[in-house]
Amino acid sequence: MTSSLITRLLALPLALAALTATAPAAAQASATAPACELRHRIVFAGLDWDSNAFHTAVAQRVLRDGYGCEVDLIPGSTIPLINGMARGDVHLIMEVWRSNTPPAWTAGVAAGKLIEVGLNFPDATQGWFVPRYLVEGPQAPAPGLKSVADLPRYKALFSDPEEPAKGRFLNCIAGWQCELFNSKKLQAYGLADHFTNFRPGTGAALDAAILSAVKRKRPVLFYYWGPTWLLGQIGAELVMLHEPPYDAAKWQALAAVKDPKDARDATAYPVVEVLIGANKAFLDQAPRLHAFLKNYRTSSQLVSEALAYMQETRGSADDAARQFLKAHPAVWQAWVPPEVARRVKAAL
Amino acid sequence: MGAAAAPGQFPDWHSPLRDGANAAIDQLVRNHGDRFEALANALLGCLLLIEQALRATPPWALIAATAALALAASRSLLFALLAGAGLWLVGALGQWTEAMQTLALVLVAVTVAMAIGLPLGVACAGSARLRRIVWPLLDLMQTIPSFVYLIPAAMLFGLGKVPAILATVVYATPPLVRLTTLGLNQVSADAVEAATAFGATRWQALTTVRLPLALPAILQGINQATMMALAMVVIASMIGARGVGETVLLGLQRNDPGTGLVGGLVIVLLAVVLDRLLQAAGRRLPSMAQPQGGSAWR
Repeated sequence: MTSSLITRLLALPLALAALTATAPAAAQASATAPACELRHRIVFAGLDWDSNAFHTAVAQRVLRDGYGCEVDLIPGSTIPLINGMARGDVHLIMEVWRSNTPPAWTAGVAAGKLIEVGLNFPDATQGWFVPRYLVEGPQAPAPGLKSVADLPRYKALFSDPEEPAKGRFLNCIAGWQCELFNSKKLQAYGLADHFTNFRPGTGAALDAAILSAVKRKRPVLFYYWGPTWLLGQIGAELVMLHEPPYDAAKWQALAAVKDPKDARDATAYPVVEVLIGANKAFLDQAPRLHAFLKNYRTSSQLVSEALAYMQETRGSADDAARQFLKAHPAVWQAWVPPEVARRVKAAL
Repeated sequence: MGAAAAPGQFPDWHSPLRDGANAAIDQLVRNHGDRFEALANALLGCLLLIEQALRATPPWALIAATAALALAASRSLLFALLAGAGLWLVGALGQWTEAMQTLALVLVAVTVAMAIGLPLGVACAGSARLRRIVWPLLDLMQTIPSFVYLIPAAMLFGLGKVPAILATVVYATPPLVRLTTLGLNQVSADAVEAATAFGATRWQALTTVRLPLALPAILQGINQATMMALAMVVIASMIGARGVGETVLLGLQRNDPGTGLVGGLVIVLLAVVLDRLLQAAGRRLPSMAQPQGGSAWR
């Protein structure tokens, strides 16, 4: 995690270096059965969050053991990786969050370079959270805090040490689309004068701030999303604040606002479909892999289970992938032809 | 991943170190987190005071003050104008507020670095044994990836400016210590001997002879510490410290290289202005602080 934060800035040059360096090695390896449709390595986008790491590990196992392909991954953050994908340096991305898709993705799809292959899981959630101990129980300091509309009354509780007159709202990771939506929501809900829009910079910093507060039973107000190990681990101790119910037309209008200051109306985040994306030229060369990726389907529940497994055992994403493939054969064997499934199973 | 060593070939020190460190941090946060945060808030109050003063000062006054300082340090009108123009450009690039936040952070970090680095440098100059302990520590401070200690620091001190100052101090202090020691040890033995011969105590020899003669190296150290501090502002923004670093981070993360460039240029402008000011001061100060007849010792 920490090293990828540094590496993300270098992701693009690294992508080029990795491709040029590994081309001959891939050609040699493809001689062994089962023959892969592609002579080059299949490069995954190593986005820096755990659910993506899990899906990447599952898909890599299936492609490697089942289809005999060489697989690789380039760590980095969303935008450089999507740019690399449009150029063909990266081939596959296992998580594209539909309502949060960055312009680079939409533009790549419109230009015919990128393609949405399939639906990974249909039920990802996002929202604003506070710990349960703030709002429930006899000692709770904010018993009336149920929705975002109640927040101004409790701003003193969330006081920002850098600007004590305001509360602190921990926004999401700098550069993610949710960071823009949250900034607009602060304005639309009339909270901009009461709360500082605190951008934690990185996922590691956001997690650190939340866990530090929860461990000490201190007040904290933050955006988060699931499925994630954090929500899997402390989700029961958190309460999601109510927002006006999701409305597609209002959401579109909110997305269209350029300057957050002009946002007037907002709604809750939609339940998000998380897609699998690919470089189109890559996919056109590999119809069998295309069919597999199209069939790939999990759920928030399955992902949470895998992430909790990773956190409990301190295992890697690959450990979680193996555990998932062992525990849920009915789920994944529907994605691939029987002989591929047999080979994947044999390698577990 | 990769070619793992055969099991049993090495003792497993990975898990105990990892689990021990995790448990220790967890205990610290649970039991002493509030105390650390109180400490952090005291430092934060100091920083906010400087930041508010900088932000409350009208930009033209600050530009004029910088130009006046540059004139006093260099006696060159052209240099004074260029220094003022550099700051003016920061405002023209729309980054004045952010630049003042960054400047406050750098000033506090360099002050703390000086408070630690100067005495440590003097002590190291006097003791080869101390140097043998301190030098590897300085190596560690300069090379360990900041996020290794930044994330635990953010859990203890809260997100934002305080862990940013910590990271900056860790990174900026080593050159100051090294250059202070180097400067003091390069003062010619004759000069010190002459002072001692006239009855100077060790303290007098240090303050009236060795420190003034080492001043160019020490100022170079302060200069380097300042440059290092400016180089850390993007890392600082990754744990929520506001300022120019955040502009760069947002630009990079949003695929907006233009904004990244603006932020980067502002950091460079701040660095150039600060560097030249310190350099000019470094050239003038030694001649003013030289002991009487000092020029004969050069």
